[in-house]
Amino acid sequence: MTSPAPLVAIRDLTAGYGGLTVLDNLSLDIAPGEFVAIVGPNGHGKSTLLKTISGLVSASRGSIKLAGVDITHKRPDRIVAAGIVHVPQGDLLFADMTVLENLLMGAYLPQAAAEARHRLEEVFALLPKLRDRQGQIASTLSGGERRMTGIGRGLMTGGKVLMLDEPSLGLAPILIDQIYELIDRLKASGRTIVLVEENAARIFERADRVCLLDNGRFVWSGGGAELMRRPELLETYLGG
Amino acid sequence: MDVVVQIVASGLTLGAMYAVSTVGLSLVYGSLNMLNMAHGAILTIGGYAAYAVSQQLGLPAAFGFLAAIVVGAFIGLLIFAATARPLLKSKNFETNVFIATIGVGAVLENVVLKLFGPYAKPQPLNIPGGVRIGAVLIPYQNIAIFGVAIAMMAIVAFRLQRSRAGRAIRATAQNREAAELMGVHVHGVYAQVLALSGALAAVSGVMISSLATLSPNMGGDPMLKAFIICVVAGLGNTYGAVAAAIVIGLLEAATQYLLGVRFGFALLLLLVIAVLIWRPAGFFGKARIVRL
Amino acid sequence: MSEARRDLFVGLILLACAAVAPLAFTDRYIVTQLTLFFIWAAVVTQWNLVLGIGGIFSLAQMALFACGAYGTAMLGYYLGWPLWLAMPASGLLAVVVSMLIGLACLRLRGPYVALLTLAIAQVIYLMIINDTECFTTDAGGCMPLFGGVRGIGRFGDLGFREMFGARFVIANYALAPALLVFAFTFSVIVIRGPLGLAFRALRDNPGYAMSRGVSRFRYQLWVFASSAFFTGLAGAVYAAQFKVVGPTIFSFTLLLFLLSMIVVGGMGSVWGPLVGAALLMLADEGFKEFQDWRALGMGLVLPLFVVLLPGGLVGLFKRKRTQKAPMTGGDRPIADRGRQENWRRPAEATRPRAQP
Repeated sequence: MTSPAPLVAIRDLTAGYGGLTVLDNLSLDIAPGEFVAIVGPNGHGKSTLLKTISGLVSASRGSIKLAGVDITHKRPDRIVAAGIVHVPQGDLLFADMTVLENLLMGAYLPQAAAEARHRLEEVFALLPKLRDRQGQIASTLSGGERRMTGIGRGLMTGGKVLMLDEPSLGLAPILIDQIYELIDRLKASGRTIVLVEENAARIFERADRVCLLDNGRFVWSGGGAELMRRPELLETYLGG
Repeated sequence: MDVVVQIVASGLTLGAMYAVSTVGLSLVYGSLNMLNMAHGAILTIGGYAAYAVSQQLGLPAAFGFLAAIVVGAFIGLLIFAATARPLLKSKNFETNVFIATIGVGAVLENVVLKLFGPYAKPQPLNIPGGVRIGAVLIPYQNIAIFGVAIAMMAIVAFRLQRSRAGRAIRATAQNREAAELMGVHVHGVYAQVLALSGALAAVSGVMISSLATLSPNMGGDPMLKAFIICVVAGLGNTYGAVAAAIVIGLLEAATQYLLGVRFGFALLLLLVIAVLIWRPAGFFGKARIVRL
Repeated sequence: MSEARRDLFVGLILLACAAVAPLAFTDRYIVTQLTLFFIWAAVVTQWNLVLGIGGIFSLAQMALFACGAYGTAMLGYYLGWPLWLAMPASGLLAVVVSMLIGLACLRLRGPYVALLTLAIAQVIYLMIINDTECFTTDAGGCMPLFGGVRGIGRFGDLGFREMFGARFVIANYALAPALLVFAFTFSVIVIRGPLGLAFRALRDNPGYAMSRGVSRFRYQLWVFASSAFFTGLAGAVYAAQFKVVGPTIFSFTLLLFLLSMIVVGGMGSVWGPLVGAALLMLADEGFKEFQDWRALGMGLVLPLFVVLLPGGLVGLFKRKRTQKAPMTGGDRPIADRGRQENWRRPAEATRPRAQP
């Protein structure tokens, strides 16, 4: 897993809010095409990690490199332009815009705008419900539709790395199945994916690697199947 | 009937003028959560800039108008750089920027006072004459103001809806973090919005002073009215603000005619308080659910 | 000793100095300026409670001051009330007016409050100066109900001349510092007491505070109304001291001046308003030559302090103090196990979704 140069290299990352430290000296390498899952108890930094990578939260120490280029203290819009797409927790849709406008907003960057029409068709193919709902105002969508719009919007941006923050949050199981089907297809197409999930069960067979984040530190990392065989870890950190 | 025509004519003119200055305020609040208390000062400076260019430099009126737009936009950028940007990371951004812009507004008004003196001056950008409808004379100036106002708002609306910059502004106003994640340079958006708001304020200053006179403190009342209009419509709702501006313009014309100028403002205020008691988020505003 | 006690102790010492000041300075001008200082300081300690502690962005403070000033003047002028009765009565009037304003505004979000209170103050001002109908006439001529542009004068006396004879000047002078003592004591009680704590809780963690029954609206109304009493009283003292009340108290420059005192001193702090008041009045004195630039200077002070020194001078002083003791504040780059305990959530079935 470590022979090709890592696409994303995180070293000694420390970050937090105000005086409170949330991420404590984290290091992580992500290879191109790898599917990494970040799991762990709530409130321990999973979302913060993604936000620090995408630039919404500034790191107080450490470094983040994308394909060798240091992006640690760059502005979020520069980091997106460099190729990291962050689909945030809670969707954060543009409430007064339609589904279509939200999706097109995903292709705001010039390099994405050039491919917009093409990508839109791809997104509609992956998420047919969105094509039906494209004229609908985002604030009137159901939970599952919002989630799909959020993910679709992220796909419109393109990018080398796709980061998803709890895509199954608050959804009914049948919708979660659909989301994970989509994730499977994205992985199959060779995308590098970083997934934060509390619902660890579905991760184990899918992820190439699972990293357990507790109190701002990685306490364990390895294959999903391995984790299944360590009930004490599951017990302590993931509530069995 | 003549009375109605008179009131409608004045009301629409007033409403259009207010709408121009309100659009800028509403955009600034919508995207930045900022109440720009220097708005009135920019309005004043716009009027004086047009005066200086056409009266003192002797250039034709169009240059005066253009000068107002340029100066207004420039001051908007200045306000962004001096107050909004440094304060964005502070905890009480709304409060801090409110106070800071109060100060900036006072400074700007004083500069005008120093440069042009305290006495009222007539605004030369004026079109004499008018058209008759029935027994009522509607000045060409009013028609011109109305036309220009509608034109400017149409341009702004078009840019907001169709252009890339406009989409960035709308996205930032609706969800700043998400916009950043789409690759929008949020600070750039803020600067643009403040510049636009400044330009619009300056234009409305030219219009207002052309109907009344130029004086260094002419910006205070129109600014307050513009804010009130925004509040009634629901802070951040720009289209609603335009509609509210027209309605308030008509109401003001009506009360001025019926009760005299004195009670106009007081009545307006009572009306606003009544609306806010009934609809705390403003007429068209949405009660935002605060996520804890 | 507790913080509140320390504050009051220091306050008493300063008061003692202030009390003997007229013996040292017999110049009438200085006494007048000192009196103004006490009055403005009293007003800003109350405004500081509203802005800095209650988080209410009200610009109607001078309108409440006017209730006290005009109330006293009018009760004295029209109804012949003795000043000692009119003053507290007009303080209560200010409370009533503030409650009306509060009921109308406080349920709304911050910017709405600011705009509405500004508008209310402006309307009151316009009503006063635009009223040209003569309510009565007196020796000076036409007298509108609220005195119009001229103002209201000749509404009574504190009666010190009768009581103290030649020494009445001292008694007259003592009224203003007495006012400040009460106003300041009240502000200390609020800031250091349970109400101050409640507001800090509301600000730092609104969800938790509200779930514990802290009602923002009720507390804000309480702070607004009670600080209005002292503000109105300050207006009453102003009326009693200067014997004429006019619409100049609504001047925007004055509002700016007072706001600057709070910003320079440090909003939300106990001593900030006093420090700010003292400094700004001294600065005003010092720049007396440059009257022209006064408004400009004041306008500049606001953005400069807000951007560069948001905690005011008191905030700067506090920062210098905590820098010497690294364990008490500032950023700590190394995670503190102890501090993280309270948000460690071991496996539980119902974890609150508190992801930052």
